[in-house]
Amino acid sequence: MATTERPESRSLGDRLYDALFHNYFWQSIFRSGYPNTPRNQMLVVATNVFLHLHPTRIHRTHVKITHTYCLGGLSFFLFLGLTITGVLLMFYYVPSVERAYEDILHLHTDVRFGFLMRNMHRWMAHGMVIMVLMHMMRVFYTGAYKPPREFNWVVGVVLLVLTLLLSFTGYLLPWDQLAFWAITVGTNMIGAAPVLGPPNKFVMIGGFEVGPNALIRFYTLHVIGLPLLAATFMAVHFWRIRRDGGLARPL
Amino acid sequence: MVATTPDAVASQAVRQKARRQRDDELLVWPDLVFIEFIAAMVFTLAITALSIAINAPLLDRANPAVTPNPSKAPWYFLNLQELLLHMDPALAGVVVPTVALVALGAIPYYDRDNEGQGEWLSTPNAWRLTWIGSIVGSVGSLLLIAWDAQLHVRSFVALTGSEWPAALNFLRNARAIQNDLPWPDAIKSIPLGNILRLDLLGLPAADITLNIPELIVAQILPVSLMIGLPIIFSIVLWKTGEAKTRRDHMIAQFSGFIATYIVLTIIGTAFRGQGMELMLPWQVKMPIS
Repeated sequence: MATTERPESRSLGDRLYDALFHNYFWQSIFRSGYPNTPRNQMLVVATNVFLHLHPTRIHRTHVKITHTYCLGGLSFFLFLGLTITGVLLMFYYVPSVERAYEDILHLHTDVRFGFLMRNMHRWMAHGMVIMVLMHMMRVFYTGAYKPPREFNWVVGVVLLVLTLLLSFTGYLLPWDQLAFWAITVGTNMIGAAPVLGPPNKFVMIGGFEVGPNALIRFYTLHVIGLPLLAATFMAVHFWRIRRDGGLARPL
Repeated sequence: MVATTPDAVASQAVRQKARRQRDDELLVWPDLVFIEFIAAMVFTLAITALSIAINAPLLDRANPAVTPNPSKAPWYFLNLQELLLHMDPALAGVVVPTVALVALGAIPYYDRDNEGQGEWLSTPNAWRLTWIGSIVGSVGSLLLIAWDAQLHVRSFVALTGSEWPAALNFLRNARAIQNDLPWPDAIKSIPLGNILRLDLLGLPAADITLNIPELIVAQILPVSLMIGLPIIFSIVLWKTGEAKTRRDHMIAQFSGFIATYIVLTIIGTAFRGQGMELMLPWQVKMPIS
């Protein structure tokens, strides 16, 4: 009796997997195969625009949590989260003295998840200031500013200033007593500088006192000007980390 | 035969070294991407939980006619607002932060060698210098704040039951140096118009008077303290042999700076109440919103 060889019948899972991931459309998006072999794992990092912020390989010591505590990455992550919640908040907020405060109240009471969005935006903003400061301390105490990374430390200091400015400009937007007086106190400090102080303060708040002009200026800086600037400096910051060979290592 | 030629030996060594380095390397996918994913998830959940638990503050509608007491800047500027209480506003609000940021940015251009790179506090004396710097910075700034708030006067009165001696009134705080020392009246208002002859340039005559005691208290004293104390600190560390390299000095100075920054922020946030007086956190009344 002759035996005929038949291919093993493929399970439903295998066939489903093939249909989903081995088709023409899927492979037009993701060119490398599923990252379950070292080759594909490197390809997926190298060919993906988001993942290629990373190198394909990394030194063993750098994935230890205690080496970085993920502080820089979490700062970036908070920036992304702030962008998402910020865009959602922009749907409901009009930066005019007449409407700003009412819009926040409206957000609290009438918008589904509105209060949650505002809370998340606020706590992430405070969190980002703390994360950036702690990231600076981490970089200092691990000596990671040393050659060839000197200038990236300077870029980091610029990003710290931009983070503070982003937070400060956002502080005015709810247009409540806390916002108004915090910005009044803050801009008065700038105005106290000799010679350049008063004109700088005037340009910043568009007048001698915090008012409608200050609100629209802070809003514009907060939602587009400073984020673009920060994103640019972040790009430089990350690019230079890659160029300098990733995280600093002992020599 | 092939392996003994110099080139072959060299390339073999290179290949061996490369392999050894490769052994210490991990693939970013999955080892790093996984950690990043977990960190992002944990943080998203933590932020969401925090946002469900605690609401962002919202006071009454902004009213330029009603000034809350105290009016405070956002917390990360309260260190500067704290400085504002002790010196000239231009100094505290603009000069100090500018100089601090420039000095911060200049660290890598001063401390240039590769010693201590890539590991937590890996130079021999690093931990010790971090502790010394943090303690000196926090204790020093606390003492200065206590002096300017006349805590030594209050303690003296509380301990001895007698008044602070009038002859030592100028030691009460910084402002007392201006008010309680017998400065000659002549140096309290020196008309600068006689020196700055703007009228000769066809400009309106300078209508500024110079108050030397005021200048000493609001400018010269704080500047000398802020520059002098760190310099003295570094000299002491150098003479006692605690700090030998530039990295050592940077660790001590940076730790001192961070400690001072944190102390000033905490004092400004929690210990300044009505009229920006120094008080305990539970004595601070909520400003009328």
